[in-house]
Amino acid sequence: MSPGSDASAKNMLENTEEQNKVKDNIVYNDKINTFSEQRENKGVENKDIDTVIKVKSAIPRRRQDLLKWYGWGYQDSTFKISDGVAFFTGNRYLLGGKKLPHALQFIKEYFNVDITKDAIPPPQPTSFQESRLPSTIKEDLEKIAPLSTDGMDRLIRAHGQTLKDVYCLRKNSFQRIPDAVIWPQTHQQVEDIVKCASKHKFVIIPFGGGTSVSGSVTCPANEERPILVLDTTDMNAILWLDKEQLLARVQAGILGQDLERELRSRGYTVGHEPDSYEFSTLGGWVATRASGMKKNTYGNIEDLIVQTKIVTPTGVIERNCRVPRISCGPDWEHVVMGSEGCLGVVTEVTVKVRPLPPCVRYGSLVFPDWEAGFHFEREVARQRAQPSSIRLMDNEQFRLGHALKEQQSWGGVVLDGLKKFYITRIKGFDPLKLCVVTLLIEGSTEHVARKEKKLNAIAAEYGGVPGGARNGEIGYTLTFVIAYIRDLALDYDIVAESFETSVSWERTLALCKNTKERVRKECRDRNIQEYIISCRLTQTYDAGCCIYFYFAFKTDLSMDAVRMYEDIEEAARDEIIANGGSISHHHGVGKLRKKWYTQTVSEPGRRLLLATKKALDPDNIFALGNMAYDQYMNEELGLKSKL
Amino acid sequence: MSRSWEPTKTLNFDKPYSPQELKNVVANSVYIDAIIEAESNESGVSKEKLKKEIWEYLDEMAMDKKMHVVRWMGVVFLKICFMMKIGVFVNEAAVLKLKSTMGMNPVLFLPTHRSYADFCLMTYLCYHYDIDLPAVAAGMDFASMAVVGQSMRETGAFYIRRTLAGAPLYAAALRRYVRALVASYHAPVEFFLEGTRSRSNKSLPPKYGMLSMSLAPYFSRECTDVTLVPVNISYDRIMEQKLFAYEHLGVPKPKESTGGLIKSLHKLNDHYGNIYVNVGDPISLKEYLGDQDGLTKEMLKPTELQQITKEQMIKIQHVANYVITQQQKCTVVTISNLVAVVLMESLVRNEPLELTQVLVKLDWLIQVLRDLGATVFENDLKPNLERILVVHKNLMRIDRDKKLKLVSSAMMDVSPDVQNKMKGHLLKAETMVNALPIIELQLYMNPVLHYLLPPALVYLLVRRRPLYKEELLAEYLQIRRLLKYEFFYMEESEERVFSSSVQFLVKGGALCEGAGLLEATAPTALGDLLQSATLSSLHTMRICAEHMMKVGKCLESQALKHVQAVVEESQVHPYCLSLDAIGRCLRGLAEEGALIRSRGKQVTYEVVGHKMEECHRLVTSVLPNINIECGTNNSVILNQETLKSKL
Repeated sequence: MSPGSDASAKNMLENTEEQNKVKDNIVYNDKINTFSEQRENKGVENKDIDTVIKVKSAIPRRRQDLLKWYGWGYQDSTFKISDGVAFFTGNRYLLGGKKLPHALQFIKEYFNVDITKDAIPPPQPTSFQESRLPSTIKEDLEKIAPLSTDGMDRLIRAHGQTLKDVYCLRKNSFQRIPDAVIWPQTHQQVEDIVKCASKHKFVIIPFGGGTSVSGSVTCPANEERPILVLDTTDMNAILWLDKEQLLARVQAGILGQDLERELRSRGYTVGHEPDSYEFSTLGGWVATRASGMKKNTYGNIEDLIVQTKIVTPTGVIERNCRVPRISCGPDWEHVVMGSEGCLGVVTEVTVKVRPLPPCVRYGSLVFPDWEAGFHFEREVARQRAQPSSIRLMDNEQFRLGHALKEQQSWGGVVLDGLKKFYITRIKGFDPLKLCVVTLLIEGSTEHVARKEKKLNAIAAEYGGVPGGARNGEIGYTLTFVIAYIRDLALDYDIVAESFETSVSWERTLALCKNTKERVRKECRDRNIQEYIISCRLTQTYDAGCCIYFYFAFKTDLSMDAVRMYEDIEEAARDEIIANGGSISHHHGVGKLRKKWYTQTVSEPGRRLLLATKKALDPDNIFALGNMAYDQYMNEELGLKSKL
Repeated sequence: MSRSWEPTKTLNFDKPYSPQELKNVVANSVYIDAIIEAESNESGVSKEKLKKEIWEYLDEMAMDKKMHVVRWMGVVFLKICFMMKIGVFVNEAAVLKLKSTMGMNPVLFLPTHRSYADFCLMTYLCYHYDIDLPAVAAGMDFASMAVVGQSMRETGAFYIRRTLAGAPLYAAALRRYVRALVASYHAPVEFFLEGTRSRSNKSLPPKYGMLSMSLAPYFSRECTDVTLVPVNISYDRIMEQKLFAYEHLGVPKPKESTGGLIKSLHKLNDHYGNIYVNVGDPISLKEYLGDQDGLTKEMLKPTELQQITKEQMIKIQHVANYVITQQQKCTVVTISNLVAVVLMESLVRNEPLELTQVLVKLDWLIQVLRDLGATVFENDLKPNLERILVVHKNLMRIDRDKKLKLVSSAMMDVSPDVQNKMKGHLLKAETMVNALPIIELQLYMNPVLHYLLPPALVYLLVRRRPLYKEELLAEYLQIRRLLKYEFFYMEESEERVFSSSVQFLVKGGALCEGAGLLEATAPTALGDLLQSATLSSLHTMRICAEHMMKVGKCLESQALKHVQAVVEESQVHPYCLSLDAIGRCLRGLAEEGALIRSRGKQVTYEVVGHKMEECHRLVTSVLPNINIECGTNNSVILNQETLKSKL
């Protein structure tokens, strides 16, 4: 861990800021032209006006102007292959504009693809399902907030980011897309919209950043009522910021990157950084019980949140005191936290903020193999010596990371060579077995130095050697660009997806081994030869850890391929659960993992879930049908007919 | 003057803030920080610059209490009191009781505001009784006065701008400063609920802004309670008497300046009579509000960012109104008031009274007022009457026939310069000569009118024709509402006031009751008194209504001028010339729905036909049929010119 790297604290933020500024103007103009009147009439509630920090979002209301409509992330940021070299476009990320000389070698090793083929983005669809929203309702809604029934607006809010979603998107083959999109700006407007829905009997889907990977925002295909997407991203003001209490009251539609940018410019951070945090929203984090990379320092979403305000069809839920803890029966805010949009809309959140750490340092440790790395992680957790982030990558991931290393200067090459020489020749690590732990340490300079020393000492006990700050930093850069790889892969007939779980420490090694083996077997059974299955350990807790699997295989992109992938993932999940793993660590249940919901929470648990539905949303306005909520209507109706 | 001074504090802090530290508390507060963050984000102005602006505001408003200045000002105050031959009377028991309960929670002194002298009185009183000197809210116009502005600051005054509109940062600084003064400072806070000196010597409807800022710490429970102390300050003679009379007629008030103050000092070498400071029963905000205001969504905000909710604001308005009624309740009826009532009635009836008659009349009046619940301090009438005639020698006099007469004003030429600044109609010099002293006289009558008005209205209504109580109440309430801005009252308690007025009248023999039907008896002294007491207000109301019906719609400033012109032409009570009274009648008509008041750059009134006719009918039906003679033909007016020529 070289001490020289502590300057580059913000992995990628600084790069994006300038572009945001340029885009801001576009965003604002666009909004003002289209909806100027509404903006004037329906500002943030007057009462708060004096402490409200209005945030100019990095992403416009017309998302498709800035973001890829057919995949992940920004239009200008994408992997490309040209003249036999891979590179990453744009200048938003550390990798931006850099040639990646090792990438093709890696691809060739695993997949036999024709890299001479030009990847052409799919054509933007021109025809869409007719909007079913009756004009009377439309008029009512337009009085509350800006509304759109434009086809593209609806299509790009019909999905999350699962493989199936992206496939349907590229082929424009969703069974059902929303009938309209509405952008409220205040809590009051959300209340009005929900009241309107109760009155006119239509369905509301709350929509934040659209980064879900559980199928949770997918429209129920057989829904006959009109479906309105409630896009929360216009609710993105910081209502107040109290630097003494280290608290901020924020509207729930704020994007992670907007929230971080605003707070950092004032010397604070929330520190919640899920890999999607550029595009996902605060409300979305609450609705899925999200987890961030730096949870060891800042906590997961449930630790970060002090208060939430949720609009449900039967009223607004909010605990009427702002306290650090309360002994007062079950925590109803936790009923809504993780309810995946099926009970209501999160409108405002009081969230903890922390002063920016004076020192941020990346680091890496190299271990001879996965087991050594695992035992090191276990020991760190036992001693509760975790830095902000500590992750163990398996050999495949290490090599993927290596493949995405940019072209280096001559000096860099020599240094890298020396390092490689030391690790493989002197320490005798097998390049096809070694694993890497990446570290992100934050705090005061002394704290960081102490922590580093301690981690090095523990690593030494398990045969680990320091691998340099640069390797660590690359590991974390990869976090944000890895989602872009899938789009490239799809262009070259490779389907790729990730899934995660949490598991107790003693079962972890077996779970990783067995799950990988199960995937390999499923591939063999299906005669898939070109694939990659890899995992990493991304979070540690006292009682266990989070394991993240990546799986990709070569196939022609078709519905069959999607189904095949889903079958394999299902088999893998069966295996995970059989090995004592959970249904999900932070992605949520959605529709993809319904199958295991009841066995996870027990039958009374499922009934409790349905009871919350009955209490908060008896008419099933929020008809997303995630987890077991789709059983609500059947059981309620069945019950009624019996009576 | 050099004794060590350990005054009683409102709150006992382990480490009390100095006035300078208090400014730091405000400038570095979470609230100001949040405001600056939002404002900087909105306007793009740097946070440092905004912070600097906040500091400028704080330096402009903050008090800077300094002990040595306080001691010196104490000496100056005494000196002036001697010069003005003033006696200050205080209900000491109430002050000592209040003092003994201090130390637990903030205390707000809420005195009436009739004169600039009010500013010093409470401060001096606290100085005298070893209570920490209050932080007194003063208008910005004082701050710019040389030496005086600074001296007042150093005895605890803080300065506030008249309007907060359009200056959000200033408003924030003030809000936070007041909050800090109340919750984090150890001295009482004093301000005038009425917001300005009442030019008419009557209670004005309260302003709510300052009170809501002061009570904010209670709603966020930064303090356990707030003690509100209504205080009434009654004067035998108001220094500004002449100025006020001019203002009523439309001659503008001169700008406050130190030069002006020094010039006016020689006038102080005169008799000013007594000042009665009556400290009312302290009101515990907590007890007044009860326990129902606990939980609001505002509690979810950081304490400092917690704001007053709509419901709380309504409660605050109630409290403010209640305090005004409590101030009225502690009115001390002075001999000036009593003589003014008697003289005015004699003037209205054009019947000069002999000194002995005056004394009899005064004695009777005291009984009437006491029956109505007033505090009358006089016991030895004759010497007091003689004393007050010295104090008011320029206004009233005993002539050679031993009759009490009003002295007309000297003929004065209004300079063209002043003419340009006149707010109202250009009145003739002859009009002014008699109008001025009558208005001055009315100023001393006004403080007791809140006792006389309810029975007077009831009497006037019944005098027309016998009425059942319910019918009477409806009409009574309507006319009361019309006069709402002239005579402040609380709607909640008005039915009770009505019932006791009826009882009072029946007991006093002005009305008789049979089978629920109320009927006026043959004219009585009480009836006459009540009629003459309400004469000017009802006439003003009538003329306003008639004028507005004629023009339909006009600017407020135009209406004031024209009504004044009409009054000058017709033979009515000269107090009807008062711009203050006319303005308040117009507002009353608007409140009742007979006019539509709209605020653009200027206030405009527009008539609502049927409603206006209804109001006009009501007012004219109760008007007593008294023609007032106020020219040279009035035998109660002593003409100054003739006086001189005779000498």
